[in-house]
Amino acid sequence: MDDQEQYARLFNDIDSQALVALGVILVSTVLLIIVSQRGLNWLANRLHGQLRFRVFALVPLTRLLILVVALAIAIPIVIEPSLRNMVTLLGALGLAIGFALKDYVSSLIAGVVSAVELPYRPGDWVNIEGTYGEVKHVGMRTVEIQTPDDDLVSVPHLKLWDSAIYNANNGGISLQCVASFYLHPEHEAGWVRKVLRDVALTSAYLKFDKPIIVVAEEKPWGTHYRIRAYPVDPRQQFLFTTDLTVRGKQMLNAAGVTPALLPPSTALDLQSSTSQ
Amino acid sequence: MLPLITFIILRPAMSKRSTKAALSPWEVVALESFQTPEQTQISQWRRSWRVVTAWMVGKESSERQAKQESELRALPEVKLAHWAPAIDWLPTANALNNVMKEYRDAPVVLFISPPHGGHASVVSLWAQQQGVNCLPMPTFAELTDGSLEWVERCGHQRYWAIPSLERHFLRHTQGLQGVRELLERALSGRLGQGVIGCDSWTYAYLQHAVGLEGVPVLTLQGLEGKQLAHYFADLARDGKCPPVYSTRTGKLILANGSDESTSGKNDDVHKELQRLAAHCRGHLGIAWHYWRERLREPAERCNTDEQPQEELWLLDALAEAELPADTGDVATLLLHALLIHGGLEDQALGHVLPFSHHEALSARLALARQGILDCHQGRWQVSPLSYASVRQLLESRHYLVDSL
Repeated sequence: MDDQEQYARLFNDIDSQALVALGVILVSTVLLIIVSQRGLNWLANRLHGQLRFRVFALVPLTRLLILVVALAIAIPIVIEPSLRNMVTLLGALGLAIGFALKDYVSSLIAGVVSAVELPYRPGDWVNIEGTYGEVKHVGMRTVEIQTPDDDLVSVPHLKLWDSAIYNANNGGISLQCVASFYLHPEHEAGWVRKVLRDVALTSAYLKFDKPIIVVAEEKPWGTHYRIRAYPVDPRQQFLFTTDLTVRGKQMLNAAGVTPALLPPSTALDLQSSTSQ
Repeated sequence: MLPLITFIILRPAMSKRSTKAALSPWEVVALESFQTPEQTQISQWRRSWRVVTAWMVGKESSERQAKQESELRALPEVKLAHWAPAIDWLPTANALNNVMKEYRDAPVVLFISPPHGGHASVVSLWAQQQGVNCLPMPTFAELTDGSLEWVERCGHQRYWAIPSLERHFLRHTQGLQGVRELLERALSGRLGQGVIGCDSWTYAYLQHAVGLEGVPVLTLQGLEGKQLAHYFADLARDGKCPPVYSTRTGKLILANGSDESTSGKNDDVHKELQRLAAHCRGHLGIAWHYWRERLREPAERCNTDEQPQEELWLLDALAEAELPADTGDVATLLLHALLIHGGLEDQALGHVLPFSHHEALSARLALARQGILDCHQGRWQVSPLSYASVRQLLESRHYLVDSL
C-alpha cells in the first residue's frame, strides 16, 4: 500500500489537461524537427563552399536543442522533478536500458556526442569501417552515408566509441584526391613528374590555393606515381580524379611511357596486401 | 602686394587643375596599389539580396523603378556614337609610358586589366607610339601540339611588346610549354626589354601555372563615381552630354555637359554613378559598356512636334543578365575557362574542358542564349554586363579569380 503511494507521488496526476499538453508538445516537437531538418537541408543544398557545411552542421544541433527543450517542458508535467524522484526514475530507466536497450541507447547517446563533437556532419566525406561516402543525414541513432555507387548506408552512431572515423574534408571544402599511375621502371622520372604536375595544373577542377604534389615510389614491379591535389568542391572528387587519370594516361602514352604490367602472382599478392 | 595678388589669381586655376588631375581616369598604378571603389562590398551584398528578393517576390516586383523601361527606348547608333563613343585608350598608353620610366631596369613589365579593360589596345598603342615590334602569336595548332617554334620566332630585340598574353597559352597539358619558355626567356632578359599586356584572369592563372614572382605589374586604378561622372560628361563628341537621369530613383545622375560648377555642386548627383562604379569594381571598360548599353531616351518624343529639352535615362545597373543561383558545374567550368583565356573559340572548348566538345558547345549555346556570353572576333567571352555577377558566382564557389 505504501509502495503504491510512493509511486503515485513520483508521477503527477495525469488528467486530460496534462494529456493534451503532452500531445501538443509531442506534435510541436515532431513538426519543429521535421521543418528545421528539411529547411536547413534545403538551404544547405543551395549553398556552396564553407557556408554549406556550416548550415549542414546546424542540422543535428537544432534537433538536439528542440528535443532538450521539449523534454524540459514535458518532464515536469509527468513527474514531480524533485531529486528523489529523478534518482528513482533514472535508476529504473538505467536498469531497463542496461539489460534490454543497451546498443540502442548507446547509439542515441553517441548521436548526442556526435552533434557536439562533430566527427562528421552532413556534406562530409567519411570512411567508417570501409564504408566511404558523403554524409547525407545525421540522425538520432544512425548516420546515413551515400556511397559513390549510390547506396545509402545507415551506420549506427555507436561506432563512434570504438571505430576509427576517417573524415576527408572535416567540414571544409578541401578534400585531397589521389590519381595513381603505375609505370614500367624504364622511363625518365623527372619528365614524368613534370608532366603529371602539368596535368594537375591544367585541370578545370583544380583548387589553386592548395598544393599539388607528385609522389614517386619505387616498387619491385616499376614506379608508382601519385598526383595529390584538391578539387574546387569535394563533390567533384571522382570527376577530378578521372580527369587527372585520363589526361595523365594520354600524355604518358603519347610519350611512349609504358605502364607496369604485373605478373599474376605479384598482382594477387598486392591485392591481398591492399585488402588487409 | 604683387605676390599676394598673383597668389589670389592663380589659386583657383591651380585648384581647378589639381581637381582635374584627381578626376582623371587614367592613373596607372602598381597592382598592389589597386583599390576597388567605395561600396564595392555593399554592391555585392545588394546583388545577392536582389537574387533572394527576385526568388521570393518575383523579378518584376523586386525592381521598383521611378521610370518604367516601357516609357523609354534605346538610343539609335548615331546618337550612341555621338554621346558614348568608344574609349580612346591613348591617354592610358601615355600614362603607362610615364610610369614605366620607374622600371627602366626591369626586363619585363606587365600591364593587366580585367575583361573588356583594354590592356591589348593600351599595349598596342604604346608599342605603336614607341615604334616597338609586337611579338607574333602562336597558332591554335601550335598551342595544342605543344610546339615551341613560335617561341623560336621571337628573336632578341631591344624592345618588344605582347599586347595580349592570353592568346599565347591554352589550359591544356601541351598548352603551357610555349608560354613557360617565352616567359623564361623574357624574364631572363634574353628577348630584350618588353611590355606584356595581359588579362587579369590569365595573370592569376599563370601566377600559379608558370610563376611570375618579382615581375612589375601595372594596372589602371579603380574609378570612383565622381571620376566616372567626369569621364562620361566629357565623353560626348562635342563635349556636351544632355542631362542623364536614373530610372531607379528618377534623380539626375549626370548634369548637362562638363560644367564642373554644375556637376560638382551636389555629391548626391554622383551617388548613382558611385553605385555603378562599385558594381563594375571601378573598371572603366565595363562601366563604359553599361553606359552605352543602358542609356535610353524618352519614347514619346517622336510623336511631338515641339523640340523638348534633350534628356537621357540610365537603366538600373543591377538589372543585367544574371546567372541563376543554381547554375550547374558545366556552365561554371565553362565560364571560368572563358575568363582564364580571355575568351575562346568554339574549337578550343573541347581542349580546355573536361567534357566532350558537344557538351561544351551546348553549354556555350545555353549561356549565349541567356545573354551571359557574347562573341567578339570569333571568340566567346563573358559579356560586360554579366561580368560582375559571373565573377561573384565564381568567387563564392571558390574558383580562382583575378585580383582586380
